[in-house]
Amino acid sequence: MSVAANRLWRLMLAPAGLWLVVFFVAPFSIVIAVSLATTDFLGRPVFGWNPENYQQVFDPLFIPVLVRSAAFAVAATALCLLIGYPVAYMIARFGGRFRNFLIVLIILPWFADYLVRIYAWFVILGDQGVVNGLLHAVGFPGDPPVTFINTPFAVIGGLVYDFLPFMILPIYAALERMDPSLTEAGKDLYGTPLQTFLHVTWPATVQGVVAGVVLVGLPALGDFATAQILGGPNTYMIGNLIQDQFGSGYWPFGAALTIVLMAVLSLLMIFYLRSAARPAEASA
Amino acid sequence: MSGQAAVVDQATPEPLAPMSHQKVVVRRAVAARKFDQPRFLYVFTALVFVYLFAPILVVFWFSFNSRKSLQVFGSFSLTWYGKLLEDSNIISSLVASVEIAFVTMVVATVLGTMLAFGLVRARWWANRPTGTLMLLNLVTPEIVTGIAFLLVFSQLGLTLSLGTVIIGHITFSIAYVTIIVRGRLAAINREVEEAAQDLGANDLQAVRLVTLPLLWPAIIASGMLVFVMSFDDFVTSFFTTGIGVQPLPLRIYSMIRFGVTPEINAVGSLMMVITIVIVLAALFVYARQQRARLAFLAE
Repeated sequence: MSVAANRLWRLMLAPAGLWLVVFFVAPFSIVIAVSLATTDFLGRPVFGWNPENYQQVFDPLFIPVLVRSAAFAVAATALCLLIGYPVAYMIARFGGRFRNFLIVLIILPWFADYLVRIYAWFVILGDQGVVNGLLHAVGFPGDPPVTFINTPFAVIGGLVYDFLPFMILPIYAALERMDPSLTEAGKDLYGTPLQTFLHVTWPATVQGVVAGVVLVGLPALGDFATAQILGGPNTYMIGNLIQDQFGSGYWPFGAALTIVLMAVLSLLMIFYLRSAARPAEASA
Repeated sequence: MSGQAAVVDQATPEPLAPMSHQKVVVRRAVAARKFDQPRFLYVFTALVFVYLFAPILVVFWFSFNSRKSLQVFGSFSLTWYGKLLEDSNIISSLVASVEIAFVTMVVATVLGTMLAFGLVRARWWANRPTGTLMLLNLVTPEIVTGIAFLLVFSQLGLTLSLGTVIIGHITFSIAYVTIIVRGRLAAINREVEEAAQDLGANDLQAVRLVTLPLLWPAIIASGMLVFVMSFDDFVTSFFTTGIGVQPLPLRIYSMIRFGVTPEINAVGSLMMVITIVIVLAALFVYARQQRARLAFLAE
């Protein structure tokens, strides 16, 4: 490669690199600055050193919200794994020539608008929704027969629906990369299906599982629209709390919440990036 | 494997063979059958597909309901679509969303493609940090970047408008383009470019005449993907939109907050059709080239 060409390729990095520095890195420094600020009487940030904003995050008033957010995100991620792994396994092993088609079918609903997908559950399971209509028609007692909206189940179910493809895709990719003769070898060595799964298939696909857990867990923890549409005051998540602060609340507190959320998410991200980097280095 | 298991299974429906050797075979065959023909898995996967598609289809179905109810389907009608056309707010939001998505697509595709070239081909210390930055951007939840945008724009004194929405959308879109194009670029054999250079092309000509034509499907597919993601985006738009015309997802959001109306079913179905058609087109473009490549390799 000529020197001139290398210079050209270096230049290619510049526009997007600068864009990300200006619009991704720089904004974070402002969030950090605001998280330590107070406000003037118009609600505009006055910069300074006010770590109280962070103390407020761990105020007993808000602890339930933090715990609930974590619990919802963990539950949604676990459910996605329980549902997603068998589906990915099924498609990768037994999908045959329909594999690509089935994977497209898994992704396709995700491309329906995010809000519409959440709202759809309102249509199906709302108090005036389809299921309650059917149950009422067959004579189930109660008005409505089933209450789903405003319960934790609604929010967790909505989160699972939002992010399930993100769990299935990386697990599928890992299963597809895996040599199927490995499971046969496991069976030839008199392993039971469970043993074969635990000692052969699972270790070979754990990378995909980690990727899926992060890809579902990160957005689930930061989500606010699902809890807002399918939930109520009892299902408030940290995303709702943040959103409120930037609506009519106190911006510095909102910024501090955002930084705390980001810190938790960063731990997950570092974990993911390190585990993603390992096989790349091994194959290089 | 599964065929073999099935044969053994048919031949010995009951494990009555006295010889220990045969016993082992039978036991393994039964175990293998469970493993290789998991009827449970088929049913489970089918149920998951129902779960994935039912909500969308229900919304679509009820968008054609002549009645306002979500429980009783009256007769087939386009009433709610007619209502949409009369609603000037929704029309202007639709136009705004298309504009935002189009500008985002063009800018993000150019920036992302350049970044892919840089990351694959430049020999430089900046490659690694830029690549990491792109990945971080990709995995950072939108609520965090959305708030970062809100604070930056307000500190800079920028009025929130469609322009600020576009800046937000371009930022989250670049990484998707780069990842798709980079994958394809890394797969292209450098020798075809070297062959062009042997035939007298300079560096730029080799890229323009040889590499870019091979990359076009990946670039177009990623551009379509960006269009759809921008068109559907809610969270980033939520924090970067000012007063005035709102992108369509925000319009839907305020409609939902006012309560369930059949109009939402109609506008939601319309968005679904638009995005799914674009996504399928992108897949088609991408898959056709892959098939062409396979055919070329087979020759």
